[in-house]
Amino acid sequence: MTMTSAEGTPAPPRMSAFARKGGLKAHERRVGRLFLLPALAAFALVILFPFLRALGVAFTRSDLQTPEPVFVGLANFRAILATPEILGAFVTTAVYVGLATAGTVVLGLGWALILNQSFRGRAVLRAVTLIPWVLPSTVTAFVWGWIFNSRFGVLNAALVGVGAIPHPTAWLSTTGGAMTAIVITKIWFSIPLFMSFFLAGLQSLDREQIDAARVDGASNFALLRDHILPHLRPVLLVVIVLGVIGNLQHFDTIFALTGGGPVRATSVLSIEVYRRAFDQWDLGMASALGLLWVATIMPAAYFYLRHLLKGA
Amino acid sequence: MFDLSSRSAKLVFGTVAILIAFFLFFPIYWLVISAFKPNAELYRITPTLYPHDPVLTHFATAFGRGNLLQQLRNSLVVSCSAAALNTLLAIYAGYSFAKFRYSGRRLVMVFLLSAQVFPFGLLLISIYPVVTSLGLIDSLAGLTLSYIVFALPVSTYMFYSYFTQVPSEMIEAARADGAGELRIFHTIVLPVSIPAVVTVFLYGFMWSWNDLLYAMTLIVSESKRTIGPGMLLAYLNEVNSDWGGAMAASIAASAPIVVAFAFLQRWFIQGVTAGSVK
Repeated sequence: MTMTSAEGTPAPPRMSAFARKGGLKAHERRVGRLFLLPALAAFALVILFPFLRALGVAFTRSDLQTPEPVFVGLANFRAILATPEILGAFVTTAVYVGLATAGTVVLGLGWALILNQSFRGRAVLRAVTLIPWVLPSTVTAFVWGWIFNSRFGVLNAALVGVGAIPHPTAWLSTTGGAMTAIVITKIWFSIPLFMSFFLAGLQSLDREQIDAARVDGASNFALLRDHILPHLRPVLLVVIVLGVIGNLQHFDTIFALTGGGPVRATSVLSIEVYRRAFDQWDLGMASALGLLWVATIMPAAYFYLRHLLKGA
Repeated sequence: MFDLSSRSAKLVFGTVAILIAFFLFFPIYWLVISAFKPNAELYRITPTLYPHDPVLTHFATAFGRGNLLQQLRNSLVVSCSAAALNTLLAIYAGYSFAKFRYSGRRLVMVFLLSAQVFPFGLLLISIYPVVTSLGLIDSLAGLTLSYIVFALPVSTYMFYSYFTQVPSEMIEAARADGAGELRIFHTIVLPVSIPAVVTVFLYGFMWSWNDLLYAMTLIVSESKRTIGPGMLLAYLNEVNSDWGGAMAASIAASAPIVVAFAFLQRWFIQGVTAGSVK
């Protein structure tokens, strides 16, 4: 099974320029475009137009004092570069994305390797693994907010109980603790999806090759290093790119758990843009910052799109 | 895959398996049992590992607040409509991309798919005035419309990759018989596409059901709140948190989506990994 099932199927043969002009081909073009129309209209309304509008607003002053946007050129971008706390959000975002992506890749891969063994109850385990992924964001935040609770949280009780820490930590109200909490929360509900990708990749592994290596006396570790991991390389790239895109955009559980705090310790770009736009109603700055945010996503997006459109 | 006949291999493999399983499932266990603990048992420095004295009071208070049922109903209305709208838009577009050839096709595909990488938060800044000017701010219809943002690109791609596997001969034979294009789609292609339809519907449903950002920004009235922001406002109060109620409400809010997945997860995972979603 390949990652995109589209790859496996040859596209219909390309028509010569001459044949394309024929009546049937003209008909095909017309019908094809008509089928596309509804989605395209929706796309224009809720995605393309809002994006272009944000692009314009980013170069204006548009806030509560200035309800009619005034063109200010690059002033918003200059203001961003001159504000250390906004620049800090880029660093916070990088830390969050780096830790969450790395953690999810390692644990997602580990879990996929485990669920790829055959044992009784495997199908059930695979199914329930998806639960963290499908829970509403608010529920996820509640679950972890309760675990990380400073007074009655089970984590503090366990850590103090085994003597790992001398007294309870106020996880969500310390700089490092809050970052730890939001990263762990993100890893927790992203493992299922990553695991599914790795598992799909593992299922296309050549069993005979594995068996042959085993007959040659390869250890489990050698098998992993020389056969399994090289086979998973393309999947790994897709998963990392998807993880980076998803983590760069994530808002819900961070907002619900810490609101970007304490102070600005977990104020990643998504939180920062939201605060500028919907707390302060400074749409010019929010849009400018949002565009820089898009720019950080673009490199990952490029690889992702190239992968998706292979053979299209 | 791995050979676990040796003791050391069993030990390493077993330890890793138990640790990851614990990380994945303990929080869910803790969510469920916390909902059944009476307050005296809930707010203890050393927690009990299971409810010694299980009670249903938290469920009674959670539902007794009155808003929860209404929020669940609002969420259900919005999520079903958003999922249906999304499926309807995506299915024709995916069919068009997979089975027709015309100039500009690839370009439009790039555009549609790239939409998935625009941060939802950035789009929201401009969707807000769009929804307002349509007169749909603070309405379930406006929220439904906005949810297209989340799911349309990936859904279109899921249909696209599904339809590329439907043999073109079927369509051409029907065309040769003189059937109209809409009829071909609805009587020949659609009946073999039910798995994809279910997957995409569920995918759209999940995004809408689980969302917090759009729901809390585009809805202001208490009576129109959906569960995400509704629960957050009701329970995450720094001064006086009702964790038992929060856990009971969480179970109520998670039940529909978990049950849907329990039945459909096999189809779903195939569709989603084929679509390479975020």
